[in-house]
Amino acid sequence: MTRATGFLPMPSILHDIADTALTLAAGFKVTLKNLFRPTVTEDYPSEPPRFEQRFRGLHILQRDESGLEKCVACFLCAAACPSNCIYIEAAENTSENRISAGERYAAVYNIDYNRCIFCGYCVEACPTDAITHGHGFELATYNVTELIYRKEQLLASPASPAQF
Amino acid sequence: MATVYIDGNRHDADAKQNMLHVSLSLGYDLPFFCWHPAMGSIGACRQCAVKQFKDEKDTKGRLVMACLTPALEDTRISIADQEAQEFRAAIIEGLMLHHPHDCPVCDEGGECHLQDMTYLTGHAYRRYRFQKRTYRNQFLGPFVNHEMNRCIQCYRCVRFYRGYAGEHDLNSFSIHHTVYFGRHEDGILESEFSGNLAEVCPTGVFTDRTLGQHYTRKWDQTYAPSICHSCGVGCNISPGQRDGIVRRILNRYNHEVNGYFICDRGRFSYEYVNSPERIRAPLVRRGDEREVIEKDEAVKIFAEMLGSGEDVIGIGSPRASLEANFALRALVGADRFFSGFSTGEQRLIELMLSIMQTVHVPSLREVEACDAVLILGEDVTNVAARMALALRQSARREPQKKALAARVPLWDDLGVRQVTGDAIGPVFIAFPCATRLDDVAEATYRGRPDQIAQFGYAVAAAIHSGAPPANTDASAQALVKRIAEALRTAERPLVVSGATLRNEAIIGAAANIVYALEREGRSAGLAFTMPEANTCGLGLMRARALEEALESRVQYGTVVILENDLYRRATAAIVDEFLARAGNVVVLDQVNTRTAARANLVLPVASFAESAGTLVNFESRAQRFFPVLPPSDVQESWRWITDVATRRGEFGSWNSLDDVTAAVEQEMPIFRGITAAAPPSSYRIAGEKIPRQPHRYSGRTATLVNISIHEPPPPDDPDSPLAYSMEGYTYKAPASALPFLWAPGWNSARALLKFQEEINGPLRGGPVGIRLIRGDRRGAPEFFSGAPEPVNAPERRWLAVPIYHLFGSDELTHWAPAISSLAPQPYVAVNERAGFRDGAPVAFQSDGATQTAVIKIRSEIPDGVAAVPAGLRETETLRLPAWISIEAI
Repeated sequence: MTRATGFLPMPSILHDIADTALTLAAGFKVTLKNLFRPTVTEDYPSEPPRFEQRFRGLHILQRDESGLEKCVACFLCAAACPSNCIYIEAAENTSENRISAGERYAAVYNIDYNRCIFCGYCVEACPTDAITHGHGFELATYNVTELIYRKEQLLASPASPAQF
Repeated sequence: MATVYIDGNRHDADAKQNMLHVSLSLGYDLPFFCWHPAMGSIGACRQCAVKQFKDEKDTKGRLVMACLTPALEDTRISIADQEAQEFRAAIIEGLMLHHPHDCPVCDEGGECHLQDMTYLTGHAYRRYRFQKRTYRNQFLGPFVNHEMNRCIQCYRCVRFYRGYAGEHDLNSFSIHHTVYFGRHEDGILESEFSGNLAEVCPTGVFTDRTLGQHYTRKWDQTYAPSICHSCGVGCNISPGQRDGIVRRILNRYNHEVNGYFICDRGRFSYEYVNSPERIRAPLVRRGDEREVIEKDEAVKIFAEMLGSGEDVIGIGSPRASLEANFALRALVGADRFFSGFSTGEQRLIELMLSIMQTVHVPSLREVEACDAVLILGEDVTNVAARMALALRQSARREPQKKALAARVPLWDDLGVRQVTGDAIGPVFIAFPCATRLDDVAEATYRGRPDQIAQFGYAVAAAIHSGAPPANTDASAQALVKRIAEALRTAERPLVVSGATLRNEAIIGAAANIVYALEREGRSAGLAFTMPEANTCGLGLMRARALEEALESRVQYGTVVILENDLYRRATAAIVDEFLARAGNVVVLDQVNTRTAARANLVLPVASFAESAGTLVNFESRAQRFFPVLPPSDVQESWRWITDVATRRGEFGSWNSLDDVTAAVEQEMPIFRGITAAAPPSSYRIAGEKIPRQPHRYSGRTATLVNISIHEPPPPDDPDSPLAYSMEGYTYKAPASALPFLWAPGWNSARALLKFQEEINGPLRGGPVGIRLIRGDRRGAPEFFSGAPEPVNAPERRWLAVPIYHLFGSDELTHWAPAISSLAPQPYVAVNERAGFRDGAPVAFQSDGATQTAVIKIRSEIPDGVAAVPAGLRETETLRLPAWISIEAI
């Protein structure tokens, strides 16, 4: 850091002091004003983040009122997917083992989040509102193979039918 | 030819057709439901409405149904007319009133004609607010699923099932808006062609039940052009797979062979490919145990077993491709290559092939056009089902002439049927028992095989006096005269015969009838059924008969058996002795057969779905099939043989199927031309191979992601011009390499009409198959000399004749659950005069071996004849026909 070597004229010094004080006051005025305003900064990760309703996050495979899976394995989401990242294997419901209300259910339902672009086409295509975008977004991982989400990870818990 | 105007455009049209046929042939998109290219028009659905104008000055016009408007000179129609469009949209809205709109759970979704037509008419919004009509669905057996709520009452199912396939247990019931299509009660559909309902039905009322068990959408399957391996007709098929599981088989149109339909054995045969009984890895016998070994080690052991090659023989197979048989022949040498036909079969097949060179052998399309048919000693439905369906159509030709005379065009199905009623043409059947074609037969003759041969000779003699005479019983004389007259006066007479009854005289008699007709100046056709996929091809190789090897008593060092279960070819005692005599037994096969269980080395062989090759069908048409499943350690027989030959430093230049096919062609002149049966593997469209996957194929990057997140490159396929990929262009692919059908706006199987040169015509893009025998030696061949005198049946003895079953007699479909569930239990069928009770357990003796079965009483069987089912699973093979004694137990 370099210091000024010569003396500056007196009025200039007073002027500078006054100016600095004013600047400080203006600055602290903002600080003080905001001190009494409501907080907008989110305290993530200490507190959960807040989302807009239509935020397109991690998918959720929904259940109906009776707890059956809404997915009937029609393959339309996979067909609509522009990055081809949805993989489904269908199996037939039987009266002993009823998983969904339709003829079939998805025995395997994988989404590869390495490739998913969260475009929402799958949700738009779904005729039974089985696949929806949830608000999950914490996908970061050191191992990309963990980004292949299985049906078990995507499925809503049986207790609370509609989830976001 | 007529000049017609469609939307103001001038076109030349076939005046014998209707305007729907003409419009679709010309490429116009005109919606339809009840019309089917093979079944004509009935004008029931009102969907193809167009505006017709009287002349160029007429601007008002009137609405007509295109399918009922003949393409006469100066016919003017408008498809784009506003009123016609609104009418069509209103019709489809009406059809959709009660449709459940359950496309997501419907198996037809994505390949649904109703979906396509709804989009085509522009109907998008549903206004009907009331309760929909619902039905109860029926159980229709293992092949077809029934979901009646989706029905739009187009009547195509019953028109196909009753009118085209001639079966009666599916019908329309009730009236008004509750019309129901089904059986009178739940039960298995009786027709052998019930699977076609899934393709005939424009929506999802009838769907493939086996597909439903491992359902995948049309766009998610990988397809390949293939040939059915279940009999000798050589129907073109298109199997679809995903994730290494074959999901279904679709008909692949070939206007000369199968047209729009295939039989249920062909359609559902694919299930064996997925069977756990398949051999998936090489097995070597060490002591009493069989060990799984690596591929390289298997090739090494195989090479060691071949040794110097001095005492090695090879046994071919009529169910393996030309290339596989040829590779084995090249490995062991032509003089040590045996055909692998059943005992007694080879002579018959060689006889049939030599006759085929002297006559005209019709394709199935030509069979359908024949107007008088004699079926001599063959049960066509159970041996070559698709040919039986063609023969059903020939039975309608003669009555149709009456309709033509009454100026009713043939496409007017309702009109034709009003003129013809239930009349059938001159079709005659001579067989020991009732056949499934008897309902279209004007008359039938029942007799022992030797009597049938006599009967055939008598017909020939009655047609032309130069033919050798025969002694038939007096009761048959009138029938002989009637048949001779019918064949002689017909425009296109046809004789059908085959090797089922194992009787050379019957085949000679069939030839004599055709020769007699030719001498009378008639152009007649002669079709022989061939029991297995490549019977004709293997027969043309002129290999030594299997009996020679089995009964030679020579000590062979190594026996290489290619895709053949010897226990189905000869009696167990003979095969046991033969296999025990051989030093090493190498079996190349797909499933774990009884022969494979006895082998020292078993090599896993690719099924039709995993392999490429060439088959020769009953009319000597060489057709190529391509794999639908990606390559694995389960490889083609010819590739195993090439691997071992390369190891031994023999014919090492074979790298792909094209090399082997070229070698077949070069080595054996009879197969000249087979390389042209399909495009070579170097074929490209705009630098790319033809894709096996539709452009909508989904999950491409996610399918194998549980193994590696890096998308693997598509597997290489050196044998075909097709790629395991969705990249490339199918729309202009050659007809013989067309894996699936799809055209913009046409997602259902009806996309076919965008690939045909004209409706019911050949596919665009070249020939499908190459005819090897062209009847070059036609002229005036010598008649076969007279049939041997019939022998009288000994007291309490019956002549056992083999009876084939469409479901049960074919070897590989034993491992297809849906088909094998319909196979009969072992039985012996005799008439009631034999003194047995129906269902009584009996034992019968043949070749010294005793067999057990139950009695089936069939009153039409002549005295002294017992019908025994051939080739059922887990039954001993008998040398038939043979005199047997039957004892109650």
